[in-house]
Amino acid sequence: MAIEHDTLVHLSKTFGLFYLIALSVGVLIYAYWPRNKARFDAAARAILNEEDRPCP
Amino acid sequence: MFKFHYKLETKAIALVLAIIGVSSIGGLVEIAPLFTIDQTVEEAPDMRVLTPLELAGRNVYIREGCNACHSQMIRTLRDEVERYGAYSRAVESQYDHPMLWGSKRTGPDLARVGNKYSDAWHAAHLINPRTLVPQSVMPAYPWLARTRLRTDDLPLHLTRLRTLGVPYTDAMIANAAADAAGQATPNTDRAWGVAERYGEATNVRDFDGATGAPTELDALVAYLQMLGRQTSIAEEPAAEGGE
Amino acid sequence: MVSELTTGQRQMALTFLAMLALLGLFVAAFGRADPIGGHGWLVLVFSLLSLFAVLTNYYDPEPAADRSAAYYDAPVKAGIIIAMIWAVIGMFVGAWVAWLLVNPDLTFVEEAWASFGRLRPVHTTAVIFGFGGNALIATSFYVVQRTSRTRLAGHLSPLFVLWGYNLFCLLAVTGYLWGINQSKEYAEPEWYADLWLVIVWVAYFVLYLRTLARRKEPHIYVANWYYLAFILVVAVLHIVNGLALPLSWAQAKSYSLFAGVQDAMTQWWYGHNAVAFFLTAGFLGMMYYYLPKRAERPIFSYRLSIISFWGITFFYMWAGSHHLHYTALPHWVQTLGMTFSVMLLIPSWASAGNALLTLNGAWHKVRDDATLRFMFIAAVFYGLSTFEGSFMAIRSVNALSHYTDWTVGHVHAGALGWVAMITFGAIYASVPWLWKRKTMWSPALVEVHFWLALAGTLIYVFAMWNSGIIQGLMWRTYNESGTLAYSFLESVEAMHPYYIARAVGGSFFLLGALVACYNIWMTIRAPQPAGALQDDHPQERTDPVLEAGR
Repeated sequence: MAIEHDTLVHLSKTFGLFYLIALSVGVLIYAYWPRNKARFDAAARAILNEEDRPCP
Repeated sequence: MFKFHYKLETKAIALVLAIIGVSSIGGLVEIAPLFTIDQTVEEAPDMRVLTPLELAGRNVYIREGCNACHSQMIRTLRDEVERYGAYSRAVESQYDHPMLWGSKRTGPDLARVGNKYSDAWHAAHLINPRTLVPQSVMPAYPWLARTRLRTDDLPLHLTRLRTLGVPYTDAMIANAAADAAGQATPNTDRAWGVAERYGEATNVRDFDGATGAPTELDALVAYLQMLGRQTSIAEEPAAEGGE
Repeated sequence: MVSELTTGQRQMALTFLAMLALLGLFVAAFGRADPIGGHGWLVLVFSLLSLFAVLTNYYDPEPAADRSAAYYDAPVKAGIIIAMIWAVIGMFVGAWVAWLLVNPDLTFVEEAWASFGRLRPVHTTAVIFGFGGNALIATSFYVVQRTSRTRLAGHLSPLFVLWGYNLFCLLAVTGYLWGINQSKEYAEPEWYADLWLVIVWVAYFVLYLRTLARRKEPHIYVANWYYLAFILVVAVLHIVNGLALPLSWAQAKSYSLFAGVQDAMTQWWYGHNAVAFFLTAGFLGMMYYYLPKRAERPIFSYRLSIISFWGITFFYMWAGSHHLHYTALPHWVQTLGMTFSVMLLIPSWASAGNALLTLNGAWHKVRDDATLRFMFIAAVFYGLSTFEGSFMAIRSVNALSHYTDWTVGHVHAGALGWVAMITFGAIYASVPWLWKRKTMWSPALVEVHFWLALAGTLIYVFAMWNSGIIQGLMWRTYNESGTLAYSFLESVEAMHPYYIARAVGGSFFLLGALVACYNIWMTIRAPQPAGALQDDHPQERTDPVLEAGR
């Protein structure tokens, strides 16, 4: 078989770890990027507005 | 207007792609090695396939949802090994499409229940468990003894399983219906064919204790009496791995 | 529902239903020697009834030309009512099988369909997919329209998604009773029902994405992220786990493509992530909209909701193998599953904490408003059961808890305490909004329901914790001579009082759902308050940004 079991295991044990770290860092940066703050705050408040009909 | 729309649409799609990426890589990294797991699973050269009657019994077991209350997976824990027998090996369920390891023991584990009790005990117990075990909470399955087993489509069952990698031979497929009846009627020509094709260790008995065409009870008891007896690997000293 | 369709759409619906009826007829004819034939008849009857419903309203006046100036709430209303019907069915069967474990001879009819093994999947499917699934579809339609400030992108496809999904649920549930079951837990329906669900689900996904693409808000609100993850990942899980080889096109039976350890891993990868993305992500979407809305406060930290979203999406996928500790699964996969299950606690508690902190400062509302209290208790139970889940995924704890009633208790802490409570909260919030009433018909009955549900959940969960731990301990106790102290049968006998308590708790919960049905029914029937309708009339809103965009 072309793909060896050990290769795949090795890949999940190494790449998986780096992937996890990179992803966590990326998400944290996105969430705390200063320029995004206004957008997030607006979104959090937007659902509370009256909304009886779609915007035209 | 189109430009505005396009921008929004690409953002929603970017979110979709991100979700797919983030979620599937977790699954892939974990599952991919399992597709090559046959390289690590220990071998059991004496592993035999289920006979047509046992396979039909397995399908009755699935149909009645037995797997919701009975596991077929003995864990590598001392008390489980002492209670149910040697712990289950991966190879023992290699032909199980799907596996029936289960997740709940409202009743006991059945991985090695084969030949632990007599056929008559199983038949009576399935018809009404409380005649033998008054405290039991198992449902009664009286209709199994009344329902004639459908055997005409068994060659098709075996063919489909062979496609999925279960080593059924042409002779097994061709004789599937006859073998199902033969396994439940010992000392006939058809019965000898079963032993010839599936090995001398195969249980060839009148499982439900009633003569005539095989019933679903025959099939289910035949299946239960086979559990844990497809290979003798578990009787050998433990291989490396496990705990 | 038909009145919202144009004549052209009505004709399309009729054509489609006629084709579906024909398909049902074919299956009934070719599969007459097999259980699948019965399902052919079911599809035939289902599509003929739908056909009849469209035909009787065929000559109704067409909808106004400006229907897109209002939200499309007909499928939301229908979805909520259907969800409540499934809730009663599923919880009734659940209570029924609970009583069967108290006294197995309570079946009355000694027929195959009435046995525990066939009724149990009816319970799980009816509550998870019937009640939970319909509630998710209905609320996702509601939320995506409000948060995007646009109408659903289509008129037939929402109806197709809703009714097609319910046809799937019907095929599943009736199939178990007839003995059609592929044994994979929480994925019991056979191949053809699975295929049908794939079609429905793709339509759902396309509809959701197209509606999001039409949105008038710059940002996609986080509730939609959760709903979208739910739709997407459930599709992937369902397709992979459902891969099977049918005996033939005219037979219900199929054999899974996977075998043994591979199948076990695939099944629990599916099983655990069905919990993650069906019972968690979807309902978190519900919570992130309805809880701030009802409390009239923005979510405590929007950033935290984003972080926990990606955490949940990522970590859950690795956690499935904790269902297979000490089994024939390779050791490193078990360890991986355990580690990620423990790490899951971080995003889970971030979500639960976020919800509770949103309520901080609105505790007087939680005290006075049973609807908000439903959501509050849901967040508490979400925190509790995710903690319990991570704890149970630790290998040494799992050695005790696995195969016992503790698992059942854990599942119900999540299902009753979290999923059902947040759903009831969302339903009690939306019903007056949808039917233009000031409040529910009887706020007192909401209060009654709340206490019934809470009492039922607590009784249930405590009974199962006790029985599970006792069971686990009895199985592993040795006596002085070094042999096992208890037979399996002794552990069964020891469960009896707890099984009674569990059945009582479940019955309480069922009673609460019946009260809810009555209250919802009376709210819908109550006369419309004068003047409340004025909001229905579209008004031109001028928004400079949007004008520029157009």
